Amino acid sequence: MLVQLAWKNIWRNKVRSGIVIASVALGLWAGSFIMAYAFGMIDQRLKDAIETEISHIQIHHSDYQEDNDPQFAISESPQLIQTLTDHSSVRAVAGRVLVFGMINSPNTSAGAKLIGIDPIVENRLTKLEELITEGEYLNPGDRNKIIIGEKLAKKLKVKLRSKVVLTFQDTNKDIVAGAFRIKGIYKSHNSGIEGLSIYTSGEDLSKLLGDGANYHEMALLVKDTEALEGFQSELHQMYPELTIESWKELSPELSLMIETMDQSLIIFLIIILVALSFGIINTMLMAVLERVREIGMLMAIGMNKPRLFKMIALETIFMVMIAAPVGLLLAYGTITYLGKYGLDLSSIYAEGYAQYGFKSIIYPNLAGEHYLRIMILVLITAVLSSIYPALTALRLDPVTAIRKI
Amino acid sequence: MEKEHHNHGNCVIHTENLTKVYKGVVPVKAVNDVHLHIEKGEFTALVGPSGSGKTTLLNLIGGLDTPSSGKVWIHDQDITQLSKNKMIDFRLQNIGFVFQAYNLVPVLTAKENIEFVMLLQKVPQAQRDQRVHQLLGEVGLLEQINKKPSKLSGGQQQRVAVARALASKPQFVLADEPTANLDSKTAENLLDIMLKLNQDEGVTFIFSTHDQRVIDRARRVITLVDGAIASDERKEVVMEAL
Amino acid sequence: MMILKLAWRNLWRNRKRTFITSASVVFAVLLAIFLNSLKEGILQKMQENVVSFYSGAIQLHQDGYWDDQTINNTFEVSETLSKKMVEHENVTSVIPRLESFALTASEEKARGSLIISIDPSKERLITRIDQKIVAGEFINENDQAALITIGLANYLELDVKDTIVIIGQGYHGASAAGKYPIKGIIDFASPQLNKSMVYLPLKEGQWLFGATNRLSALVIQVNNINRSEETAAELDKLVENEYEVLDWSTLLPELDQIIEGERAENVIFLFVLYLLISFGIFGTILMMTIERKFEFGVLVAIGMKKLKLSSVVVLENIFVSLMGAFVGTLLSIPLVGYFNAYPIRVTGELKEAYENYGFDPVFYFSIEPKIFYSQTLVVLIIALVLSIYPMLKINRLDAVNAMRD
Repeated sequence: MLVQLAWKNIWRNKVRSGIVIASVALGLWAGSFIMAYAFGMIDQRLKDAIETEISHIQIHHSDYQEDNDPQFAISESPQLIQTLTDHSSVRAVAGRVLVFGMINSPNTSAGAKLIGIDPIVENRLTKLEELITEGEYLNPGDRNKIIIGEKLAKKLKVKLRSKVVLTFQDTNKDIVAGAFRIKGIYKSHNSGIEGLSIYTSGEDLSKLLGDGANYHEMALLVKDTEALEGFQSELHQMYPELTIESWKELSPELSLMIETMDQSLIIFLIIILVALSFGIINTMLMAVLERVREIGMLMAIGMNKPRLFKMIALETIFMVMIAAPVGLLLAYGTITYLGKYGLDLSSIYAEGYAQYGFKSIIYPNLAGEHYLRIMILVLITAVLSSIYPALTALRLDPVTAIRKI
Repeated sequence: MEKEHHNHGNCVIHTENLTKVYKGVVPVKAVNDVHLHIEKGEFTALVGPSGSGKTTLLNLIGGLDTPSSGKVWIHDQDITQLSKNKMIDFRLQNIGFVFQAYNLVPVLTAKENIEFVMLLQKVPQAQRDQRVHQLLGEVGLLEQINKKPSKLSGGQQQRVAVARALASKPQFVLADEPTANLDSKTAENLLDIMLKLNQDEGVTFIFSTHDQRVIDRARRVITLVDGAIASDERKEVVMEAL
Repeated sequence: MMILKLAWRNLWRNRKRTFITSASVVFAVLLAIFLNSLKEGILQKMQENVVSFYSGAIQLHQDGYWDDQTINNTFEVSETLSKKMVEHENVTSVIPRLESFALTASEEKARGSLIISIDPSKERLITRIDQKIVAGEFINENDQAALITIGLANYLELDVKDTIVIIGQGYHGASAAGKYPIKGIIDFASPQLNKSMVYLPLKEGQWLFGATNRLSALVIQVNNINRSEETAAELDKLVENEYEVLDWSTLLPELDQIIEGERAENVIFLFVLYLLISFGIFGTILMMTIERKFEFGVLVAIGMKKLKLSSVVVLENIFVSLMGAFVGTLLSIPLVGYFNAYPIRVTGELKEAYENYGFDPVFYFSIEPKIFYSQTLVVLIIALVLSIYPMLKINRLDAVNAMRD
């Protein structure tokens, strides 16, 4: 009977109930959307970092990273590359010849990281070709061509087709130099890379280094990110002499960012819930104050406090039950739409983006379990928020309440 | 309620030294040392000018308000000793109320409003249905059974309120200015229904009013002046045909 | 005047309503300030951590040093120069440094390292490098000893009291070679920082590199890191053209890029919060308008012009919003102040990640005055824009209908 009464009561003041329902729906939407947005953001950054830069796993000679000395190449690289390429867990793999040296333009010189690549294989891994803003990407068979970052090009005051000289130590510690022509200029979202890395043909670089066909670095993407750790330890067992690191070890900044996001997300969700509960308390309090006379009458004719409390709590719960599907549907719609077409941040915050020109489109996404989690949180908040207004109703004195009749 | 201890015989309401003082800059004695004794089956009007303490006295008897001093017995229960929440349950079982307005739950139909108190009392379905029909028949509103209060006239609403007050089978019904918002014809009509219930079924009514036609129908008229009983008369009333 | 009086009295006539409406504004202001303070606090702390570690907020160099960081681009110590810097109100202190790359070696191994010559007593006070010592002791001004980072120590297989050899190029091509006992080992927690750094007392470093009385940088510490850019520009005007003054966003563009990216992402969080806040306030205003329909009807019926009535209601809203904004800002000061003094401690993986970087594992709250007034202003504007609703409602009001209920 209280159930029916509560249900009927919520349709009495449609505007008021509408406000509560809309607040809860909006709260649900906000919670889900922000979560989806944060996940989208993390995904985007991971994608930026993993799919264009560090990859899931990098393999080096165990001494290479300590020293960056080109003599520490991965022995029998071609066989290893073949094994990895054939491995069922691997999506793409590329080997790189690395050497640190100097790049000299007629004007000035700068330190540089020379990366010798197989253009086709590398592009499969890091989509390097997409970063080219001027000129062209490398072709297999290109001789003495390089692509360099916009930042480095500016520093060296060189343009497309300029000639530059690269000098470095070969594996015998002799200084070697080679003349190269700039075939393309790229722009990276990571300005550190843009100012340092130069890509050229792996064959060219190997020849200059005098080190056969071995790579210093192999980077690979796995098919299933969930299985990354298992795959990593599998590789560890197969090649105990190599250093095999996942992106988490390669880029602790990235995990710092993700963890920061996770925890600040929790705080933001709490803020949303607090805002929501305040809205509910406010409106339900008004609902109680508006019905002082009726509540007084109910108390006079024998409705006791537990029942009164139950009635008002039920009213809130019903409204929340109506709001929940509305809010979730709204959230689902927004997230699915933006998940497909993306949310372009550069239109909202042009300043920062114009300066650095990094990727700014975020694709929100949210797994089903999170919708459920948000819904439970919102339900609990709504029910808790109805306690104070209900208690206010209980504190009403029937005489005072009726005196207003 | 332990009805076997009938210390006062047929007594339903008994008050002693009942006083209610409203604190303020100048304290007001709204009810002043009232001794009242009401027997089962009485049909009593509380009259007096506005501010004479009629409503306060009814509230004290109905357990809606607590006295500053004095006692109120309903049968052998001293209701001034009950906690607020116990009092609500006591009202549910023993007292029926009819107010000047806002008697009915707006979202419930006439039937549901009457059924409501019985639901609170956990009366089984079959009995409820039977009693709703009986009561609505007695107040002449069987045709309006499924209408909501907003679809009923003021007089009809008050008749539903009377039926609702009786639904819980109370010891007595308190009615505070039940006719104040009604025109005189409708008011008389309501009083006739109340009087008939009193005569046929022995329902005890106590109501406050300042409407002379209503006073004329009362069997006992208690006049309050400045919170104290100024006169207490009993008379015979001839009932007009409905 | 009449309108003002009427609006003011209306507020006090229905105190409960006034209270509820302004409470919704109070709460909105509180939440907006809280969220902003947290978001800015996290970023600011990150910025401070990184900046104080790597570069300091501002650096003064010989003009051209930043593009070509060689020992030849150093400048002579000048007391007047330091004084000029310190006189700026935002500058707290100036630390001299001489930096140069050189080869560092033990008997078996060698590695290129950054040799940083410091003023030990100033660093102890300001950058507190001494607290990162994990073995041995910090250096003193007149020591002929070195501090090395733990990664370098491991690589060279050196420990405290062993000898490290430094070989490099000194000022104007002079050769620089020295042997130093290792007095202490530093652990910066970040593998990158730990890899190859050596600290020498300033005098010793200047002697080693044949750069007597010369510095590569004056590291300038400031009160308010957010004003680094303008402070750098002001300092740049103070000094002669032979110097350059750069702020951290030039010195550490990657950090600036990350922070600007975070700010952009925060815009969405704020947007969602504002949406919730707007709705909360709107709900209250809507209820208020409906509740007062009868009153409005009466006023129009007795001949009050609708425009005048609207003005009264808008004025009421202005009062209520101002009151709410004022109280909200006032309340936010102890709230944010508390969290500023006792920041939220983070847990789990994030705690580890922060500690790996040598940061305090806490979320700081910023108490920048800008946060307080900007957020208060935003909420105030929201509240005022929303008060258009009762205006529209009054404009369409039909007096007879309004009074019917």
